[in-house]
Amino acid sequence: MDAAAAGERPTTKLRWVGTAAVAVIVAWAAYGLDMKWGRLLEAPGDLYTVGRLMFTNMELSAFGRLMGEMWESIAIAWLGTLIAAVFAVPLAFLAAENLTARPIVGTVRQVFNVLRAIPEIILAIAFVPIFGLTAKAGVLAIGIGSIGTLGKLCAEVLEGIPKGPVEAADAVGANGVERLRWGVLPQSLPEIASFVLYRFEINIRASAVLGVIGAGGIGQVLSESLRFKEWGTAGLALLIVVVVTMLIDAVSGRVRRRLVLGSRADTGVPTSAVEEAALGHVAEPI
Amino acid sequence: MTVVEATTAEHDERDWPVKPAPSAFAIVAGVLALAMTVVTIVSLDFSPRQVWEALSRPNAPMRGLANPDFGQLLSERSRGPFIETFRMAVLGTGAGGLVALPLALWSTRFGAPNRAVYAMLRVFNNIIRAFPDLLWALLFVAAVGVGVLPGLLALFFFTIAVITKLTADTLDGIDMGPLEAADAAGAGHTQKLRTAVLPQILPSFTSFLLYGFELNLRASAVLGLVGAGGIGSRLEFFRGQGRWEEVWGIVVMFFLVVFVVERISVVLRRRLV
Repeated sequence: MDAAAAGERPTTKLRWVGTAAVAVIVAWAAYGLDMKWGRLLEAPGDLYTVGRLMFTNMELSAFGRLMGEMWESIAIAWLGTLIAAVFAVPLAFLAAENLTARPIVGTVRQVFNVLRAIPEIILAIAFVPIFGLTAKAGVLAIGIGSIGTLGKLCAEVLEGIPKGPVEAADAVGANGVERLRWGVLPQSLPEIASFVLYRFEINIRASAVLGVIGAGGIGQVLSESLRFKEWGTAGLALLIVVVVTMLIDAVSGRVRRRLVLGSRADTGVPTSAVEEAALGHVAEPI
Repeated sequence: MTVVEATTAEHDERDWPVKPAPSAFAIVAGVLALAMTVVTIVSLDFSPRQVWEALSRPNAPMRGLANPDFGQLLSERSRGPFIETFRMAVLGTGAGGLVALPLALWSTRFGAPNRAVYAMLRVFNNIIRAFPDLLWALLFVAAVGVGVLPGLLALFFFTIAVITKLTADTLDGIDMGPLEAADAAGAGHTQKLRTAVLPQILPSFTSFLLYGFELNLRASAVLGLVGAGGIGSRLEFFRGQGRWEEVWGIVVMFFLVVFVVERISVVLRRRLV
């Protein structure tokens, strides 16, 4: 009371303890790292050199081939996202507390959490020996790797729907499936679709590097040209990845706006947390 | 009975709302999505049957999965890279977070020193967000050679991309009241950001740091695949030799650790926000 009256800042003990702990951890990390810190000073110069080599003399004759590879990355991301959605959306119904019994919800959520923890590229490591050096390995890696996040986001959408239509469906004697079909799905489909689209954007980034280990797409050219110091090809490939990714982001972002906000797409603002999340204003809700 | 049925039927036709026709947007989007799916299936030559056949044939990775070497992660040769992964994630997140905070502040209308900085930073943020984590690693391995340094630099830039975006979005939604109050009291630009903006976003920012740490821990496991240090270098080693028992042992144990760290971090983040 006194402190507040005197206008002092409300600093809690917990905050000091937290700050001190973080400082200790950072010191531990920096002290034990097997690295010549002097190299850090040379890094900007090296970066500049590589950047100059890559972007001043781009190998324009490779453009067609590189666009073909980029298309493969996009195709891998699209099919992978679709496969993930086929599994994740039905599972999301089982992970929504307002639709399913608690023990099942808990189990499905833990499955989502486990899948979420594993990066796609680790899955691709296992799929490459099975499918050979083809895009199929990439598609499956993306497909299985995205189930967790997509399922979790969709479950959150389902939990956020208004109760009215579900109660109405119950009141007119709808059975389990009809209840979901008429009470739940129409309310949640736009957000679910926009999360799938959002995941597609993220998966393009993932599939662009899957080629590093031979799972198809532009990543293979990119990593090989960097390894063999074909700077011109690497620069163009990098430029293509970044520009195409940004373009797809922009288009997909517009579509998601229209999906979530409907006729308000041009000027409207999101009115709920779910809408905000579906527009990608929050990369991954807590 | 017949009378009642007749009236219901009439009622049906007269009063029931007509189901609205699907909008042009829905039709176009649906057709495009379907077309995209068909084109991608054809161009990748993807068939579920082939996939199933390939999966059901006996194969080395699956055999290894049956008998993973769980002790590998803490074995003498792998322990070092495992700890190194943690150190890299901590430093990458810390350094990236330090840079991300001013970047995020300057990429808002009220925080930018001038319009040019604002516009440039928005473009910059969009560009670096288009880079996947492993792409940073590839680039830095090419630029500074293999080792911990490219991995650290990769995590640094990846963190900047993620945390700047999250923080900038949070800044877009803050209460403008304190800002006006600071203005009215005659605060300078830095004073204004320090006293009116920072306290509002600090809890969110701290939670983004924790989230960034989770992402980096996960990402740093794969950096080693391209020669950028950490536990991934051991994964790459065993993968090259086809020793899948060791690969799976490391993967399972490492992601168990990631999973635990993530649970702790989620609890902390809930408390913060």
